[in-house]
Amino acid sequence: MKEDRYQHITDKALLEKFYADKDNQWLGILMQRYTMLLLGVCMKYLKNEDDARDSVQQVFLKAINELHKYRVDYFKSWIYMVAKNHCLMKLRDKQGKTPVLLDEQTIAVQDEPLSQQAHLDKDRMLDAMSAAIAELNEEQQQCVTLFYLEKKSYSQIADITGFSMMQVKSYIQNGKRNLKIAVERITKQQ
Amino acid sequence: MNKDLLNILLNSNKDIDNQQLMDYLAGKLSEEEKHAVEMQLAENDFMSDAVEGLEIVKNKRDINVFVDQLNRDLHKKLFRKKSKKQRRKAVQQRWTFAAIILILVLLLAAWLMIVKYQRLRHG
Repeated sequence: MKEDRYQHITDKALLEKFYADKDNQWLGILMQRYTMLLLGVCMKYLKNEDDARDSVQQVFLKAINELHKYRVDYFKSWIYMVAKNHCLMKLRDKQGKTPVLLDEQTIAVQDEPLSQQAHLDKDRMLDAMSAAIAELNEEQQQCVTLFYLEKKSYSQIADITGFSMMQVKSYIQNGKRNLKIAVERITKQQ
Repeated sequence: MNKDLLNILLNSNKDIDNQQLMDYLAGKLSEEEKHAVEMQLAENDFMSDAVEGLEIVKNKRDINVFVDQLNRDLHKKLFRKKSKKQRRKAVQQRWTFAAIILILVLLLAAWLMIVKYQRLRHG
């Protein structure tokens, strides 16, 4: 099956084609777009190459069965959720812990951009962002500014600040999350 | 700068480019290209988790080998499933065909009996 021929077709369109004629070839094209990412996600959680490969196969199998049974609208978020839940269940079986499983709605909400942004005018949004950045702790502020405004890569930021790459990633991710919370609060106050 | 400030909280739906990802993991990208990939990582949990996991793979060249194997297995699964479906469809079609033949035979038999009965009455 040649993937390149279908590059111009979106995930949604491929799913529509599959739901129209139930031909598995559309699922093949769609799923193999995500093989590498799924392998990475399974590696992140399971930390073992063989387990990760087995898990990707099981995720594929589960996806094939479920896509035949019900309709999925956002394939990328859905397959990520299936893989993450599979790994969490596998870890639970190993460690005897009950994981908090994600559902499609949770993932969809996580994927949504800040909803209020669209309704706010640019100037108010800029004021809110400036105020929110000032509220971040020093490390997050430094990493967020270098990354988003000065367009430095993680490794450059690590060199400039002396933080490890992991710390840089974490300060940027947490900084972004805190910014979102602060902007929502500030815009509500306005 | 103002535009960049506003972009911080936007989420991206950019397409995933496996080759770019592999080049990123192999450290082959320029600082500018690295930043572009990292912007996607910061906006996309799926991709960010994946890169974190792929970084653990000892030999990065294995990643493409694993992906090719997984894709081959995927196609086998899909093809097997398709064959089962086709076999089921073929069995259904055979039964439909047999039912049509049976109905035609019964109709023919009924017609012959009617003709024979009419001949007996008139003759």
